[in-house]
Amino acid sequence: MPVFSYLAHPVEGAKDKLMNEVKECDHCEVIPADNEDILIILTDTPDDDAEKKLWKKLTNLKSMRSLDMIFGHAGEDARKNIKKG
Amino acid sequence: MKKLNLDNSRIIFYVFAGCVIAAVFIIISAFTFKPEEYHETLPATFIEDFDDNGDKIFSSFDDMADEYLKGSSTDRTLAEFYSRRQYPDSPPIILHPVVETFDEQVQCLACHESGGWSEELKRNTPITPHPEHTSCRQCHVRSIEEDLFVENRWESVPPPRLGGAHLPGAPAPVPHSLLMRGNCVPCHVGPGAVTEIRVEHPLRGNCRQCHVPVEQIEPFKRGS
Amino acid sequence: MDITRRKFIKSAAVNSAIATAVALFPGISFSAWTNKEGASGQILWEKTPCRFCGTGCGLLVGVSGDRAVAVKGDPNCSVNKGLCCVKGYHSIQALYGKDRLTKAMVRKNGKLVTVPVKEALDVIANKMQETIKKHGKDSVAMYGSGQWTIPDGYAASKLFKGCIGTNNVEANARLCMASAVVGFLTSFGKDEPMGCYDDIDHADVFITWGNNMAEMHPVLFSRMLARRKKRKDIRIIDLATRMTRSGQAADKAIIFNPQTDLAIANAICYEIVRNDRVNWDFVKKHCSFHKGKTGIGYGIEDHFKFKDKAQNSSFQEFKTFLKDYTPEKVAKISGVSAMDIKYLASVYGDPDKKVTSFWCMGMNQHTRGTWINNLVYNIHLLTGKISTPGNSPFSLTGQPSACGTVREVGTLTHKLPFGVVMKEKAREKAAKIWKVPVKNIDPKPSYHTVEMFRALDRGDIRFMWVQVTNPMVTIPNLKRYRDGAQKKDRFLVVSDVYPTPTTDVADVILPAAMWIEREGFYGNSERRTQHFEQILPAQGDSICDTWQIIEVARRMGFEKQFPWKQETYIKDIWNEYIQFHDYPAHRMAPYNLLKERSGVQWPFVNGKETKWRFNAKYDPACEQKGFDFYGKPDRKAWIWLRPYEPAAESPDREYPFWLNTGRVLEHWHTGSMTRRIPILHGSMPAAYVELNPDDAADLGIVNNSKVKITSRRGSIVMIASINGRGRPPRGMVFVPFFDEKYLINEVTLDAFCPMSKQPDYKKCAVKIERV
Repeated sequence: MPVFSYLAHPVEGAKDKLMNEVKECDHCEVIPADNEDILIILTDTPDDDAEKKLWKKLTNLKSMRSLDMIFGHAGEDARKNIKKG
Repeated sequence: MKKLNLDNSRIIFYVFAGCVIAAVFIIISAFTFKPEEYHETLPATFIEDFDDNGDKIFSSFDDMADEYLKGSSTDRTLAEFYSRRQYPDSPPIILHPVVETFDEQVQCLACHESGGWSEELKRNTPITPHPEHTSCRQCHVRSIEEDLFVENRWESVPPPRLGGAHLPGAPAPVPHSLLMRGNCVPCHVGPGAVTEIRVEHPLRGNCRQCHVPVEQIEPFKRGS
Repeated sequence: MDITRRKFIKSAAVNSAIATAVALFPGISFSAWTNKEGASGQILWEKTPCRFCGTGCGLLVGVSGDRAVAVKGDPNCSVNKGLCCVKGYHSIQALYGKDRLTKAMVRKNGKLVTVPVKEALDVIANKMQETIKKHGKDSVAMYGSGQWTIPDGYAASKLFKGCIGTNNVEANARLCMASAVVGFLTSFGKDEPMGCYDDIDHADVFITWGNNMAEMHPVLFSRMLARRKKRKDIRIIDLATRMTRSGQAADKAIIFNPQTDLAIANAICYEIVRNDRVNWDFVKKHCSFHKGKTGIGYGIEDHFKFKDKAQNSSFQEFKTFLKDYTPEKVAKISGVSAMDIKYLASVYGDPDKKVTSFWCMGMNQHTRGTWINNLVYNIHLLTGKISTPGNSPFSLTGQPSACGTVREVGTLTHKLPFGVVMKEKAREKAAKIWKVPVKNIDPKPSYHTVEMFRALDRGDIRFMWVQVTNPMVTIPNLKRYRDGAQKKDRFLVVSDVYPTPTTDVADVILPAAMWIEREGFYGNSERRTQHFEQILPAQGDSICDTWQIIEVARRMGFEKQFPWKQETYIKDIWNEYIQFHDYPAHRMAPYNLLKERSGVQWPFVNGKETKWRFNAKYDPACEQKGFDFYGKPDRKAWIWLRPYEPAAESPDREYPFWLNTGRVLEHWHTGSMTRRIPILHGSMPAAYVELNPDDAADLGIVNNSKVKITSRRGSIVMIASINGRGRPPRGMVFVPFFDEKYLINEVTLDAFCPMSKQPDYKKCAVKIERV
């Protein structure tokens, strides 16, 4: 269950548009900067496949200029415990 | 002897007549019972001296005006507070001159029962937590001589540390004995209180629902 | 555990991104994120109801890293408006006791040994199946708690009643709220108070019936004090059998002889009728008169059975019935002066005063608990002081979710989440929602709590699973039931957070995730459902009680009924559960709203909470203008003719003292949590026996003397307290029950109210000796 955070730069003047587009995606949270054209995107996906798909989707958004990964946590399959049944 | 007998019978007559009149009143009042009357004449509860006389917290809280409880103009410091005492819980000495009268209890409590501004001393009066003990000067005395008769090697213990809350923002426990200090309101609330120990929420009436005394410090252990 | 860990990982991820952004663009700000972190930056504040009493205070728990570090009262919670009591402020310390149970244990060759949780769950499921095979489905039982969250109780009910097919589900709330429930059902046909805590802001007079609120519901008591301070004509009257902090604070404290509250309540009605203070308009429109059986026994013997039979009555008959309760006659048995009784009647009867009555264990733990509940309702009904702001007969609850879980989910032998097992419609509804054949649900109630432990002793029950409670301290006449639980061929599973006298005799111990270490809901005294998130990781191998039940259910082959995923099971259970209550008189708030708010009151209809029930002005379930007591078929509130009957055991020459038991401010129930909180243990380290100073003097007992208390069932030696926290009248002693070293319930009597089956912990006869 990977967790990643990114800094996203929108194309000129499309900050709000980008924000709405990212909000549409599953497993995504978005935190806009108040005073710069920049967004923080937090992804929390169930598995590696979903995470790769999401990354592809995000990078292909029209109002996305660039997406820089800042933090990555690869998930913890080894830590499966009883509660997963 | 004769005269005495006469007096006796007269007394018996008067008592009898009194009883008849009283009985009539009792009968009349029984038939004209008005429940509302009870609201005005709420029979007082006999308060018993248990729970460190904790009832006084409730009555002090109820009797003092919100404005007084909220008053914060105190200039009394904790250092000053302890400078009046030999050891942390000892009775403080009297600082100001006392006019000797036979009526001393009235004189002390006039200021120290409910506090307020003292024009003479230009400060707010501290309130006693135990106004029911009216022979004040059996414990509180004036100090008029600074030189000692003989040096003394006695040493006090440090006063309890302030705060002591077990969590950030949690209510602090009561670090002192509650004997004669069971009423929190006089010392911790109002303009006569000591600055460092004045509470920030004077309009809460049940102090001990949050602040509990420390009876022992060892943690709980099963089977012990 | 994962959910919270993920939260911290995510928090770290966002913080890293912010740090990078700040390096790139000095002065950049992200208000959408920083708001969540609170003013102190380091601490994240999360909302939750308090872990302890039924008041249901809203707390904000400060979390730093993966630990709870601080508590404040939630200013947005209408219950406590930012104030807590000493237990609430230090509640989070109860999570970190050194002897916290973090590993599962199974008894092997007489010794408890640590095992993986999976193995323990296998043992439980196998043992249950084996026991059912050998002794029938009614040989397994679940004993839960008013501290169960709503999903815990729901899962237990579904497994036992729906899947296994036994009605052997009970909860400790039977010991605490059963009389209140039956009182509500017999008087109104609907459980739980009509009013809410806002009544405190409207009432002119507060009358507490055997209820030491200053220590047991301190935050509500503070609200009363604050109201009295604001308005000098407000009165607090404490009716009790012992002088307490509440009596001290009251304008008037009235001490009555135990059990005579029944007579006093009738005498108040007598006076109201005699002085024609009856609200005729209300009574004629909204009340009907009824009587039931009398001389109904005390349930001391095994297999005791009782069923009341309601008969119609009339005001005339009621008036004749009351003739036995003139203040003068009642003064003789109650010890309360006729003047004081008249005073009480004048307060209740004054049409210009709004009166709120509060009660809790004094009236509920009573061999005539149902009756005394009925009788106090009678007073409020005769005077029409009900269901309007400030006019409230208010039955307080003891535990955080006695209402939410036990009463609303119905984790009692006769109950289902909707209705009772005896009703076919209720069984059909449950079977449909639970996806089980309707014949699975047994139409016959089995054992109520005391009888359940008797059955365990007799061998009718062979397997019992105890969650979130400590019966080996709390069951009355304890010795019999502790010996019973340890008999050969009895199997006891205990889910708890600390070792207790109950885990000491367990065959399997499951470590439980406590309070905010899992997601859940409580339901407080005023019909308020309170959601809490998982705020902290569970410790060690501990698991949420709901998930324990799900795991065992799946192992027993009920995967279809317990299909939920670990990420969403609490939400899924909530959504399934509220189907039972999808009608205006009981509709519950949706999950998302509960997540947002500091509790929501039901009935929640058209986006609005209901503060006062049975009053068309506030309650959308009313079908007529004004009042509508829709719980009863005649749409009326029922006034009951209930006589005074003596206690099951009264003092006599051999055992001349009443024994009264209860709680203290600092400790919650058996102290298994609060005694691990340093400040609470420090303030109240050990139990004691409170005596009246004159009795103590007669017996040569002084403070800290060793005193032996003996009843017909057992004896105990403990330390005397004179003029301590409370002061009993002559002829009574009081012992708090939080201390496992002094098991006072070995002395108490297992008599109960025949209607509610709730035992009376407040009255039995003992003798007192100096040792």
